[in-house]
Amino acid sequence: MTTDLLATSADTWRDRAADPPAVPPELEPPGRVGLRARNRALWQRHDLRRQRAEAVYDASRNPVRGWPVSGNRAVLAFFADLVRERKRSFVLMVVLNALAAGSALVVPRLLGSLVNRVDTQGAAATGLDALALAVIGVVVLQALFTFGAQRTSTHFGQDLLASAREHVVRTILRLPVGRVEGASTGDLVTRVTRDVGTMARSVQWGVPRLLISLMTVVLSVVAMLLNSLVLAMPALVVFALCTPAVRTYLRRAPKAYITEGATYSRINTTLTETVEGSRTVEALGLSQARVRAGSDDIAVSAQAERYGMTLRNVLFAALNAAFQLPQVVTLVVGAYGYSRGWVDLGQITAALLYVVALAEPLDAVIGEVDRLQVGAASTSRLLGIAEVPPDREPGDRLPDGVELAAEDLRFAYREGHDVLHGVDLRLRTGERLAVVGPSGSGKSTLGRLLSGINRPRTGSARVGGVDLVDLPLEVLRTEVALVTQEHHVFIGSVRDNVVLAREDSPDDAVRQALAAVGGLSWVERLPEGLDTMIGSGRFSLTPAQAQQVALARLIIADPHTLVLDEATSLIDPRTARTLEGSMNSLLEGRTVVAIAHRLHTAHDADRIAVVLDGRIVELGSHDELLDLDGEYADLWHAWTS
Amino acid sequence: MQDYPPRIATFFTGTDDAPTPDPDTRSPLAFLRWILGQQKALIALSSLCYALWFLPMTLGPWIFGRAVDEGIVGGDEAALLGWAALLLAVVVVGGVFGIVSHTLVVRSWLVALYGALEMVTRKVAQMGHVLPRRSPTGEVLSVASSDSDEFGALTEILARTVGQLVSYLTVAFIVLTMSWQLGLLTLVAAPVLVGAALPLLRPLHRRQQLERSRTSDLTSLATDIVAGLRILRGIGGEQTFGANYARQSQSARRAGVAAGIWQAVVEAVGVLLSGIFLVALVWLGTRQVLDGTLSVGQLITFLGYGLFMVGPIRTFFEFAQKSTRSLVSARKAVAIFDQQPPWRDPAEPVVLDGTAPLHDAASGLTVQPGVLTVVVSAVPEQSAALADRLGRYLPADTEPVPLADDEGAKGRAARRSRAERAAERARIAALDEERVRREWGVTLGGVDLSRARLDDVRRHVLVSDTTSQLFAGTLQDAVDPHARLTREQAEEALRIASAEDVYDALPEGWQGQLDERGRGLSGGQRQRVVLARAIAADAPVLVLVEPTSAVDAHTEARIAARVAEARRGRTTVVTTVSPLWLHHADRVVLLHDGTVVAEGRHADLLSDHEGYRRVVTRELDEEEPAR
Repeated sequence: MTTDLLATSADTWRDRAADPPAVPPELEPPGRVGLRARNRALWQRHDLRRQRAEAVYDASRNPVRGWPVSGNRAVLAFFADLVRERKRSFVLMVVLNALAAGSALVVPRLLGSLVNRVDTQGAAATGLDALALAVIGVVVLQALFTFGAQRTSTHFGQDLLASAREHVVRTILRLPVGRVEGASTGDLVTRVTRDVGTMARSVQWGVPRLLISLMTVVLSVVAMLLNSLVLAMPALVVFALCTPAVRTYLRRAPKAYITEGATYSRINTTLTETVEGSRTVEALGLSQARVRAGSDDIAVSAQAERYGMTLRNVLFAALNAAFQLPQVVTLVVGAYGYSRGWVDLGQITAALLYVVALAEPLDAVIGEVDRLQVGAASTSRLLGIAEVPPDREPGDRLPDGVELAAEDLRFAYREGHDVLHGVDLRLRTGERLAVVGPSGSGKSTLGRLLSGINRPRTGSARVGGVDLVDLPLEVLRTEVALVTQEHHVFIGSVRDNVVLAREDSPDDAVRQALAAVGGLSWVERLPEGLDTMIGSGRFSLTPAQAQQVALARLIIADPHTLVLDEATSLIDPRTARTLEGSMNSLLEGRTVVAIAHRLHTAHDADRIAVVLDGRIVELGSHDELLDLDGEYADLWHAWTS
Repeated sequence: MQDYPPRIATFFTGTDDAPTPDPDTRSPLAFLRWILGQQKALIALSSLCYALWFLPMTLGPWIFGRAVDEGIVGGDEAALLGWAALLLAVVVVGGVFGIVSHTLVVRSWLVALYGALEMVTRKVAQMGHVLPRRSPTGEVLSVASSDSDEFGALTEILARTVGQLVSYLTVAFIVLTMSWQLGLLTLVAAPVLVGAALPLLRPLHRRQQLERSRTSDLTSLATDIVAGLRILRGIGGEQTFGANYARQSQSARRAGVAAGIWQAVVEAVGVLLSGIFLVALVWLGTRQVLDGTLSVGQLITFLGYGLFMVGPIRTFFEFAQKSTRSLVSARKAVAIFDQQPPWRDPAEPVVLDGTAPLHDAASGLTVQPGVLTVVVSAVPEQSAALADRLGRYLPADTEPVPLADDEGAKGRAARRSRAERAAERARIAALDEERVRREWGVTLGGVDLSRARLDDVRRHVLVSDTTSQLFAGTLQDAVDPHARLTREQAEEALRIASAEDVYDALPEGWQGQLDERGRGLSGGQRQRVVLARAIAADAPVLVLVEPTSAVDAHTEARIAARVAEARRGRTTVVTTVSPLWLHHADRVVLLHDGTVVAEGRHADLLSDHEGYRRVVTRELDEEEPAR
């Protein structure tokens, strides 16, 4: 049977000497060749890098493993909803920004007319002081509007962001129990850190700034047209000429930036492994390999950076032309128009000021659209979490009694590969049942089905006559609890860390639970007792204390049946001695299924179930199984001889 | 001229690269100078290109003014076309050098960034297990992830500042030749404008700092929820921690709003002041035009410069800010790069013999060559400490010293704490050096390990302890990280460690991807892959610390038998109390309080030694959770 497992070994083993380098040689610049060949090679590499970026982007949209990613439509709908909830502050923000942008545009007009008067009236010019005072008035107004606009934008952006991230965390806290228990959390961690960060930047700054810049651009164009049609049109045509370049850029840039981001997180991951595993690296002589892995990551990242850089350079070429040429055009057209008497000097001055001032908001619009697209990609990964379908719909039947019985349990993680082949098991109330068996035999899966984490493919696991998976979660948790080797201490107060299963527990209950596991004395010595903040970065607990907290949670949950998976691992050998009493008081008076690694657990149990290949092959007390002289007896003899 | 990624081969010289010079770590300032000095030519060239890129802004208003005077007001068409052509030329030059300077500056930024990243990796590789004893790993990583970027930013801002300075001086020259009063106003106004905003910046930065720290708290809260998600969904507590997150999120929102409002104040004041300046400029200008001392074109020129001058001044302030920030980053980087491994090659290194007996003076343990010795101790730490000694590892008995200043520490207090931390780091380093220079107390074939080269020790004695880690990559990489094995050897290693189920669970077999640190595998699977890797390394002396603590009894029995069989003829030490291993041991050694108190065969000790029996069967008679 063991040889079967490695049957495909010859097909999948690879000679790594022939592994391609991290960066394909086609991406290296050619040696000494002519200018034209070099230019051609540059664009070929650019094209290749584009393909690589698109591959990275596609992979991020359709992850092979991990959680789903939602579509762009969902992102739009999500933000549209959030904006709709804040209609009033949104309107206020738009109005104030329009006022600020509008008043900013009046200033060049007034300056223009100042120039005009001097130009046309010469030394006889009057009202200059009044006009200057008017401009100052407008400037003061502009400053006030700017303040108001920024203020409402901040409120709006921060509020939107807070709602969005709280929504994401709420979604995570609703994820199906079965999926959470089975999947790796690495992908989720990336999403709540990196993707929330990216989303935050675009929501907080991107949305308001895009709005402001768009408004400024639109109003500037209007102002230019009002100032002088003749001067505005040619400049606007030049601006419009760069549209295709901008559109190409906006289509490609998000993928480039997402790829860059991915290469940097790759660099970080590799380095984190190297630092955290520095002892392993040293022991196995892997330093050289880790240094090379780091350099490879950097080489890949450099390619992504080169792609982004070339994209920007192409854009800059277009933008530089678009932003600077209108000055020349304005000058020439202005001179012609002036000689014909179509425009006056004030209009030319104002037009010049407008043209120069338009570059900034236009630039900002492109930048923010860019940022928003990257933010949208992150948001779609965040919203994807919500697309995991729920794995149960609680019925309204409540269990009648505490007896747990399993019938004909079958279960498969991959279709067609059952890990359990029809297990029947009836727990006797108050008994200790030890489940032993080799890894991969299905004993952990059995534990999950017995605690209602997963729905069996066929058969049923029922408590008091009701399917475990049809119980509301809060009821299920007080019936059966699955205890694994994890004993995470959350960032929060001691109370928060204990009351999990019954969140409205009074302090007395919390104290009793802690006292039962022998943890009350140290908790009371803490500076703020139950209110002391613990967890990562706060007051840190010893391993024994952390485990007492984990046990106290179960006392609060007070289920009549406990399924202990690798329960001996829950108790760290270093703390085993101090925690024996705590563990005993938890198990007291409950039905216990212990999925055991250590044979002494089995020895002490009322009954032992030996699981082999997804079936219970032996079931009985220690002495009965020894008499049977089967699998268990063999193991026991190996253990004790 | 350097290009990215730069070639860095400093600190760690185990690869074949010709070494590159070490950074100057005498002081943070010296380090920054070293970074900039590495790419002197590149930064000088990008400064020049920046200055050319700013040309349309530097000369544009002047050309426009002349064109208005001669071409428009003067009606001279030829002059107009001449000036327009010049403006076009300037714009084109600016555009081209915009692209060139962007290319160069990305290059210098990335040379600095990638260089710093590479140096961190190489420093970690050089220091090995000694680095986490001295510096918190999180901070080492933050030097790579955030501080390295500051060095990139420094190269950019330096080039931009030089470029802007050239522009500023050019403009100053032009305006002063046109009208010294207006010229002076233009030159003085810009620093005044930016300077006026300065008092507002301090409170703004304070609020931004608060916002950042709230946001990072929020991130750790979210990470914490995800890390404990199984418990939250299994046992409950979604409401409590959902509410905790919402509360923190709201407090981050408030901090963000407070910072945003100050930002609004700063911008509004900026709008007000620059508006007033512009008006003053034009008003004074019109007076001079009326006097006849200034032409209309020149007035327009002044208007243009009035808009432009804020740019360079902003850049100068940005330079001040960013150089302060990179100095802080340099301080952290120097604290890492300055550390030296304590090991010195002995003057006359002795070559070790892996087939000789291994002796530890502290415990009195002698490991016979070629057999399986199991070390039993009631206190796991003592066997772990023994394993550390056997492999010549410094124990993790130090408190790592933070690199960064405490939040909020300022001025003298910050300097004092910095000095204290530097002294503490130096103390640990001196202690390490002292410890490794002495006799180590462990001999292999009578040779103290300190008399051999460290890499020779590592080659002969492989210690696989409980912190052994898997790395992201294929299963093949995990079992055979050096690409030295044949397929049959790798299969054999998997079989010995009873880890075939890991292979089976990956549809791609050997090419199946393991996540970083083997996340995604169960604890037992991880432990068995680690064991397979240790077996496959085929070291003359193999020390396994609790190799099967997360493995079930069935599998453990199988592994013990197979390891004993496979390692026959070579020296193997296993620390465990599991009878399933003891059963296969050629020799069993009992440690009490860190010293050997009994040795012999398992069966004999079990019947003859009371203390031994108590440790090995302790669990049977004392811990009775299931009764």
